[in-house]
Amino acid sequence: MRNPSPSALDLGMVRDLTLPHLDSAYNLARWLMRDPQDAADAVHTAFLRAARYIHTYAGGNARAWWLSIVRNCCLALLSTRRPAVVSLDELEVTQAEMADGSTQGPEEQLHLAQSAALVTGELERLPPEFREVLVLRELEELSYREIAAILNIPIGTVMSRLARGRKLMRKALTQDGRSTT
Amino acid sequence: MSCETFRVQLHAYLDGELDRPALDEVEAHLETCPACRRDLGELEQLRDRVRSAPRHAAPAELRKRIQGTEQLSDFAPNPKRWTAPRWALAASLLTGIALGAIFMGWRYERQASGDSMAMIARALVSSHLRALAAASPVDVISEDRHTVKPWFAGKIGESPPVVDLKDAGFPLLGGRIDYVGEQRTAVIVYGHRKHVIDVFFAPTGETGQQPRQLDGYTLMPCQLEGQRAWIVTDVDPDTLRQFTGLLACAT
Repeated sequence: MRNPSPSALDLGMVRDLTLPHLDSAYNLARWLMRDPQDAADAVHTAFLRAARYIHTYAGGNARAWWLSIVRNCCLALLSTRRPAVVSLDELEVTQAEMADGSTQGPEEQLHLAQSAALVTGELERLPPEFREVLVLRELEELSYREIAAILNIPIGTVMSRLARGRKLMRKALTQDGRSTT
Repeated sequence: MSCETFRVQLHAYLDGELDRPALDEVEAHLETCPACRRDLGELEQLRDRVRSAPRHAAPAELRKRIQGTEQLSDFAPNPKRWTAPRWALAASLLTGIALGAIFMGWRYERQASGDSMAMIARALVSSHLRALAAASPVDVISEDRHTVKPWFAGKIGESPPVVDLKDAGFPLLGGRIDYVGEQRTAVIVYGHRKHVIDVFFAPTGETGQQPRQLDGYTLMPCQLEGQRAWIVTDVDPDTLRQFTGLLACAT
């Protein structure tokens, strides 16, 4: 079975479905790919794929449909390359940058920025299956049902991964807190 | 209900995912159980911390790229990454082919004692060049993957993943069976403008991890449907990245 080339009409429709959720798509891709350029390429590839498979959209939650395509493209892209290694230097630079930006503010703000950088670092280090549920739940504020649809897993699995992910995050952050103070 | 059960429920409670009866039950339990209250407090604190991580907004450039996409072949990766002028590309391509063809045999001999991955890389480029020099780079000419797949099945008893990427600007040209070193291997051939992209299905099962450059050709290892493969081509790095992405998404 060949898929017909999408017409201009299809592209317009795909844009209508996907562009309102472009930030969500990019945010998910950015957290999965851990690189801005790779994330943008993944989202664009996902858009082309969405246009190609527009006939699989059966109405309903467009964001979930679109995010599941974005996620699949990210995983596919990641599977073609070796696991990215987050360099320690890079992390330190980000922390330094973020701390730098708030030097004019009160000490609390500095602490907050450092804490956010710490959380970012730990979230990026989390295994992807826990990272993605946390990003979808805490940053995209999606419901369990939506997350289950995007990841194509049962709601029970969403719940157990969230619980496990939070446990891992808590552990990592307490350890960080201990080593920095 | 035990605290153990409540610990699990607490997440759903925190996430606002409980229905009325379950909600009442959890709240009643929280009133009487300081340990679970403390747990909830910690979970709330953690949630606030996780939410301090940035929610990345899509760059304006990405939005423009998507708005400007008129056809599926319009993929235009960040132009800043590829700035060499066209004539330089053509020149390097020709030089690559000429030098590659002249020195291939010689270098192949010389490198025979080198590391095996370098030898495989050399053999792949050699096969790619042989195919380019031949009248046609394919043994079976077909734009239809349903012709190519069975052809392989008949010849080597297995059929590698073949995908239809014509709409994205990478038409299927066909397939061939080639020797890489002494190994018979399936090669799926795609085109892009005037370029030829060979996808070799891992002659030895081992591809290493890093892309390599050889005589102006890029060798990109990848994994398709669980099979290790090498992509050998002279298209620019961004197009290659796009192709690899589409291939991976489609298989």
